[in-house]
Amino acid sequence: MKTMLHRAVRKPCLLRLGPVLLACVLLLIAGCRQQDASQGDQPLGAETRPAFLQIGEFSVRHISPTRTEVRDGAGRTLVLIPRGAPLPEDCNPKQVVRTPVRRVAAYGYFDVATLRMLGVLDEVLVGVTVPEKEWAGCSPDIARGMQEGRIVYLGDASSIDFERLKQAEPELVLTWDPSAVPILDDLRIPAVITSTPQATCLNARMRYVQFLAPFFGREQEADHYFAKVDAALKEIRARTAASRMQPKVMWGDIYEKRVLVEPGNAWVGELVELAQSNYQFSDVFGTSCIEITVERFLYSGEDADIFFTYRTKDSGATSKAAIARMNPLIKNIAPLKHGRVYAPTPCYIQSMDRMDEILTEISAILHPDSYPAFQYQFFEELPATDPTASQAQSEVHP
Amino acid sequence: MNVVNVLRVPTLFWRALASINLTIVLCLLLAADVLWGYACIKWRTALFIPLNDLGIVPWIQTYGLGNLQHTSWFFLLLLLLAVLALNTASCTLERVRHLLAARASLPRLRLVAKLGPHIMHAAVLVILVGYLASYLYTEVVVGTVLLPGRSYTLPDNAGSITFTDFIHQPYQGIRLDVFQGEVIRPQAALVLRADGQTWEATLGYNRPVRLGGYSVHLDNFAPKKPGGMRLNKRIDLHIRKDPGVVLYLAGIAMFCLGIGAYMLDWRIFWEVRK
Repeated sequence: MKTMLHRAVRKPCLLRLGPVLLACVLLLIAGCRQQDASQGDQPLGAETRPAFLQIGEFSVRHISPTRTEVRDGAGRTLVLIPRGAPLPEDCNPKQVVRTPVRRVAAYGYFDVATLRMLGVLDEVLVGVTVPEKEWAGCSPDIARGMQEGRIVYLGDASSIDFERLKQAEPELVLTWDPSAVPILDDLRIPAVITSTPQATCLNARMRYVQFLAPFFGREQEADHYFAKVDAALKEIRARTAASRMQPKVMWGDIYEKRVLVEPGNAWVGELVELAQSNYQFSDVFGTSCIEITVERFLYSGEDADIFFTYRTKDSGATSKAAIARMNPLIKNIAPLKHGRVYAPTPCYIQSMDRMDEILTEISAILHPDSYPAFQYQFFEELPATDPTASQAQSEVHP
Repeated sequence: MNVVNVLRVPTLFWRALASINLTIVLCLLLAADVLWGYACIKWRTALFIPLNDLGIVPWIQTYGLGNLQHTSWFFLLLLLLAVLALNTASCTLERVRHLLAARASLPRLRLVAKLGPHIMHAAVLVILVGYLASYLYTEVVVGTVLLPGRSYTLPDNAGSITFTDFIHQPYQGIRLDVFQGEVIRPQAALVLRADGQTWEATLGYNRPVRLGGYSVHLDNFAPKKPGGMRLNKRIDLHIRKDPGVVLYLAGIAMFCLGIGAYMLDWRIFWEVRK
């Protein structure tokens, strides 16, 4: 009887515990928010800028007007200190980058394009890992810099000529290759790893410019660029929202029995889903260019409508028949038989500073009815078969 | 009358805290919260990766508070775990107090056996404290890359690691064609130096190396496939000095002790039935 009485008293107390816990959580969150808002240690002139910005696996944290900490794709922390400010004692000198950075060597196309987005390419780029002839068509600014000797070719990304790199005197190297870091440490050149273990999502891809901006003091330019791409994305959403057609899309290719695709967490996968379409690999998660089985690729290809290949025309993607010849395994996938296949133009990979246009073009490919008479610049639809020599000649000289 | 009621508040609070009903409510709330957390981690993985190396306080100050819509479940988890720890501690103390008060009426072996579950509960608390210590005080060196022939010196000259060779074992089977030629068991040959001594060690996945109070883990390696994409030979290390490990091990040892004592109780039960 006593026990029952005890229970009768205790039960309402326990029932009241749920709301009490919830109230505690809300108080905790509210307290945290207040503390966050009251942080007054943001850099001068950056009142509206958040003290902490997470961009996929990258991050930027403004500690004080003279100290910003960034986390690169490998999780390494770099400390950005303005020129003239004293060096902090609590960090390894190898981690310190003096800002604004004046000389940069960049491995990847996307990093080069990001420098262009920030409007610093002509001033700061001193080294690249792609020879001049490959820049000539789509990046005349870099080709010109190389001709003038401002920008040097450092050798292939997998076998950099570090002597030449040293002579170029970069203050920062943007690289996707972590194996360069120990050698750059010896040369006392700070490096930023710009690749991440997981594919970058659409938001991170759009905001990456905000990660590199503090290195050059170009935060405003980065914010403007992001706003421009964001506006393009909103426009895409508005245009495609009413579209009845929801094409099924696959993005990848087969290389010597290895099937590589863009996973669902990659920016292309997210864009396709956002533009009222179905991405066939939305359930695949991982790194960009992830390897999947041939069976999975073929299964997704059974009912796909559109296939984006990684290959350009130069690497053999001249027609659907040419792709089928290169990879007989995939000759029966629906896009090759009766769907559409798109190959990137050489300018696609070099023009990520025009991301708003690229996103719009992908959306136009997915929904041609929503974008009548759209002029494609970054992708080209492959014909069913290669034009014969006489056809090609007649096209050139009608 | 009011004074009496006021004096009873701590007692009532203590009883409510030690209540098994509270445990059930907490376990249900924890299950729901973990489900919420699963969804958040699945869709925002990048938010939670830095928790492994930043430590809990810097993580809360940055990623945690900056993304409350995806991290609130974690704050709730901390709160629920804290209440569960208090519930377990008070419940255990309450019951141990009763057991010790009745120790005169129990044979010694029986008493030890009765303490078994409470030892296990205490072990869980020690393990939870170990996790807290890990997240609060672990020193982590992120993104250390070694090329063959190169060395890395641990913080405070606690030792040095030299990467001498990469011993890879590629997949040669026929069943999983997609893995043909891929490195399936990466192993790095290291030379370790600490306190004037030099010795060799092999580092692999799930096979860390200990040196100068640090544990050295293989985080990544290249190339993944000999003759594949042209990548330089390298290993990426994750190096950490984790004070929580001692507590986990102590907790596990205590838990085993508790199970032993509990089994003793079970044996006594069967002997009585015979």
